[in-house]
Amino acid sequence: MWEEYLFANSVEHALELLARYEGRAQLIAGGTDLVLQSQRGQCPATVMVDITRIPGLNRIEERDGFILIGAQVTHAQIAASPLIRDKAPILAMACSQVGGPQTRNAGTLVGNVVNAQPAADGATALFVLDAELEVATQEGRRWEPISHVYRGVGVCTINACREMVTAVRFKPLVNACGCSYQRLARRKALTLPTLVVAVVLEMTGDTIKAARIAIGPVAPTPYRATDAEAHLVGKKAEESVFAEAGQLAAAKAKPRDSLIRGSSEYRTAMVGVLVRRALAEAAQECHRRG
Amino acid sequence: MSDAIGTPQARLDIAAKVKGTRKYPQDFNMEGQLWAAVVWAAHPHAIVRRIDTSAAEAVPGVVRIITSKDVPVNSYGIGIPDQPVLVGEGEKVRWVGDRIAIVVAQDLRTAHRARDLVRVDYEPLPVLTDVFTAMKDGAPLVHENRPNNILHHIPIRKGNVEEGFAQADVIVEGEVATPFVEHAYMQPEAGIGYIDEEGRVTVIAAAQWPHDDLHQIARMLNLPEDQVREIVPAVGGAFGGREDMYIQHLLALCAFVMRRPIKMVWDREESITHTGKRHPFYFAYKVGAKRDGTLTAVKIRLISDAGAYASTSIPVLNNAASFAAGPYKYPHAHVDAYTVFTNNAVTMAMRGFGATQPPVMYERMMDQLAEALQMDPVEFRLKNLLGDGDITITGNAMWGGVGIKETLRQAAIAAGWRQQGDRWIKPDLGQPSAPHKKRGIGIACAYKNVGYSFGFDDKSEAEVILRLRDDGSIASATVKTAAVDVGQGVTTALAQIAAEALGVPVSRVRVALIDTADTPNAGSSSASRHTYITGNAVYGACKAALEKRERILLEETGEMTVSAKYLYRGRSRRPTTAYDPVTGQCNPHISYSYGTEIALVEVDLETGETEVLKMWAAHDAGKVVNPAMYFGQVAGGVHMGVGYGLTEEFIMENGVPRTRRFSEYFIPTVLDMPRELVSLAVEVEDPTGPFGAKGLGETPTLPTAAAIANAIHDATGVWLKRIPATSEMVWRALHGKG
Amino acid sequence: MQTLEMNVNGSDVRLEIHPDETLAEVLRDRLGLIGTKIACGEGECGACTVLIDGVAVTSCITPAMKAHGRRVTTIEGLSRDTELHVIQQAFVDSTASQCGYCTPGFIMATKALLDANPNPTREDIMHGISGNLCRCTGYYQIVDAVALAAKRLAEEGRK
Repeated sequence: MWEEYLFANSVEHALELLARYEGRAQLIAGGTDLVLQSQRGQCPATVMVDITRIPGLNRIEERDGFILIGAQVTHAQIAASPLIRDKAPILAMACSQVGGPQTRNAGTLVGNVVNAQPAADGATALFVLDAELEVATQEGRRWEPISHVYRGVGVCTINACREMVTAVRFKPLVNACGCSYQRLARRKALTLPTLVVAVVLEMTGDTIKAARIAIGPVAPTPYRATDAEAHLVGKKAEESVFAEAGQLAAAKAKPRDSLIRGSSEYRTAMVGVLVRRALAEAAQECHRRG
Repeated sequence: MSDAIGTPQARLDIAAKVKGTRKYPQDFNMEGQLWAAVVWAAHPHAIVRRIDTSAAEAVPGVVRIITSKDVPVNSYGIGIPDQPVLVGEGEKVRWVGDRIAIVVAQDLRTAHRARDLVRVDYEPLPVLTDVFTAMKDGAPLVHENRPNNILHHIPIRKGNVEEGFAQADVIVEGEVATPFVEHAYMQPEAGIGYIDEEGRVTVIAAAQWPHDDLHQIARMLNLPEDQVREIVPAVGGAFGGREDMYIQHLLALCAFVMRRPIKMVWDREESITHTGKRHPFYFAYKVGAKRDGTLTAVKIRLISDAGAYASTSIPVLNNAASFAAGPYKYPHAHVDAYTVFTNNAVTMAMRGFGATQPPVMYERMMDQLAEALQMDPVEFRLKNLLGDGDITITGNAMWGGVGIKETLRQAAIAAGWRQQGDRWIKPDLGQPSAPHKKRGIGIACAYKNVGYSFGFDDKSEAEVILRLRDDGSIASATVKTAAVDVGQGVTTALAQIAAEALGVPVSRVRVALIDTADTPNAGSSSASRHTYITGNAVYGACKAALEKRERILLEETGEMTVSAKYLYRGRSRRPTTAYDPVTGQCNPHISYSYGTEIALVEVDLETGETEVLKMWAAHDAGKVVNPAMYFGQVAGGVHMGVGYGLTEEFIMENGVPRTRRFSEYFIPTVLDMPRELVSLAVEVEDPTGPFGAKGLGETPTLPTAAAIANAIHDATGVWLKRIPATSEMVWRALHGKG
Repeated sequence: MQTLEMNVNGSDVRLEIHPDETLAEVLRDRLGLIGTKIACGEGECGACTVLIDGVAVTSCITPAMKAHGRRVTTIEGLSRDTELHVIQQAFVDSTASQCGYCTPGFIMATKALLDANPNPTREDIMHGISGNLCRCTGYYQIVDAVALAAKRLAEEGRK
């Protein structure tokens, strides 16, 4: 039961409200997860502090070598953003797969991250982009790598009763990069993924210069397949190499058996398949762009 | 002739639906209403030791907590009244849909809060979760008054199967399991119970058979039927799921106890977890054929999970057994069909009523035989499909325009098959969209009864009231019959039939709203029966009214209103009979509809994902009354079949539902449907149907999953042990992982 | 209780509500706008779709307070008097409604889709309504209806 629904008019105001209610207040953006969690008794806060009317948090912009996405930006806005589609297409692809159009209109990328659900399309893409989150507290602001923020299923180091994520930022992808976003799900819309793989590949000629592979939700948090990434560097871009990388990535997957979303055995095997496919597709795109 | 039949006619209810003004049960409110919420069983099998309502009663705003002590006759059920309305202390809960109490409060939030405070002490009992365990000697009993958990067994014996298999050159065998399926109608259970101005216990709710609800409610409340009333407003889908009562009797009970209006609205989770499902079936088949492709014998064992209570599990089994061999000629047949109690969800009617599950098995057998005989699957089927006068496994001759072969011919030709004499040649399927994908095409044929079967007296009554102009012509006509429009469009179809029979435009026909106090019993919106059975009743009433009008005009009585009632009985044209208890021979059904569907799929060999690229659906529902509604029924049936084949499965773990919401139970979205659906109307008329119409509601769902499963086999060479063919299921089959 | 001020279908309303009421609850229970349907209660079926400042959202999981100071359009706001909106008429003409419980949600999703993309391909339409579930129609006649509405709106625009 909520006792109050408040609109913050600035970041400072939001933080002040959080402080004033001493743990009874929580930030709300799109609310697509939070409303249900609250109805199901999974969110103890009774005061909602709505951040969607704070000026300045709705921007998608390139500044000081980074792309910045404000805390109010929705999945739909990211999926449609020319800047994101040009400089971080992997994120646009991921955001376009979330739920249905209505959910994408309301749900925000930052909210999705703070909620720390492993089956998060946007967050997986942010892992591959090495994104950082701007965390505002009454003491000041800091940047935290996304991998530090995720701690487990639904567990995030950001204290939503005290702190606020105001933006996410990452370096734009260089022109020669190829991207691929692979998604396996029980149906084609309105569903959380069984598995997603986000890949960004950089090549010089036929040789892989750098590879980034993020995978979710086959562990408590999305993760980077670092062994596979390291294995790829300096290798020729070919099917056998991609398959080896797939195997290395699969070795790090720890999916649970799910009656609804598939067995651990199947999902682990699919990590290998989708990583291989993502690498092949990304390599092709490198060639096209190259 | 008014050209009302077979021509484009807008649905009568559609303008109100697109405006959002049409009222569904949750849209009604009454002065002074209270709200009620159900306390559900927390265990699938347990004895209720103690019910403590004190904490709940102490919640401000709680008015009363209704328990089993408040129920005059504490049992109900369609056909067999074996379900407790509310489970009392010392009694058993048998599944998680059983109810302990009903909390009545000033508002819904309070009712919800209070129901969580009703404390129930249970003594858990072993939970029966599968039919094989439940069938074993010494298994715990779901119902103590029965000798075992087998609710019903049907044997069918025709000819001598051993002889038949001896004549066969090829014999194939197989096993398949089908899942529990949720109806997933979009409108969750809701309604109002109140005492009307004449003192009747009245319910406003969605229902499929208002007069049977009336009968059950009157029995429960120990009242004469004329002291009970049910009003059915717009119904947000049903598909069989509202043939049993889930909320109607509870609303009636609340009104009876409280003597004031009580509203109840269930959320989606309540709707999914506490209502009945389509039966899962386990099939084991053996089929033989001669080298020339002639079928010789079929041996079938099928078992359905009845869940915790009987519901219509016996009639569903009756149907499943009679359709188990499919629309094919078998000189020898041996069927053993069982339905078995467990502590799983109650299983009940759902689009197809026992005819939906077998095609997945029998159509696989047809493909296996065709493959073994190196015959084209179209050619093989055409050799064996039933025609007029052919004898089924229950020994009856087919009648009434048997269009199954024609549906196969038309679907196959549309899908690209070429015919050379008796030979049929499969089309080229084109290139798959990726090297790791393969294409396949699959065929399935199916048929289904129209109307109630096995000696059940199928009848429907309609009244037609004509208002005349001075010159005796018809100014308007009102049709009264309690045939519920659950979305299928029966109201419009009946108006068209009346318009045609009366020779007036459809715009002059009004169909009365359904109220058991005013509209006669039309039977249920099920068994694809209203167009045929109630259509005949409306036709009969129209003809009777026209005759009366003739007399009035002849005698110049000056009457301006004519009304006539007509009771149509299916057995007046075609009597049906129950199974012979030993041989199973009988005249099972009144009429039939037929269909063939062909699916073109692409299977990802690495992930197991299946995409249905295109479907062809040819259905013989006799004369098509309304072409746009015909397409809607076919497309909707295919939708449910695509879900059945690929995505839908209601999962329970130890009797506890795990797929509780739309985010966990996956009905196909628009993106999951084949990009193209080619619908072919094959109009083989049934001379006993109104203007030659049969029925259509169910047949389009029957072949879809089977066609998809056969197409997956065509693409990959593997047979699945069960549906739905989720990507993991297909992947397991492809990788020999069982 | 908290004060909610919003504009619904062109009329300003001011209500005292519980802060955790959803927009769907407020529209249905407090304003009697029953055309907005609740089918899943978790934003997974689109039956409750309404527009807030022109953007389609599932009102069953939208806190009503989010509409504070905003313009809300529901199915009741589409037709003027007895005249159907072009989209509604297209649904009628395409027989795109059976039980009808999902219909208002589909029509509101269509409104948002066509406002943003007046000339959609069939694929665009399918993606545009992929947040809405229908159990009756198999969707084909709904896709036809959206295409027909787009065509008629374009013709209207040219006049």
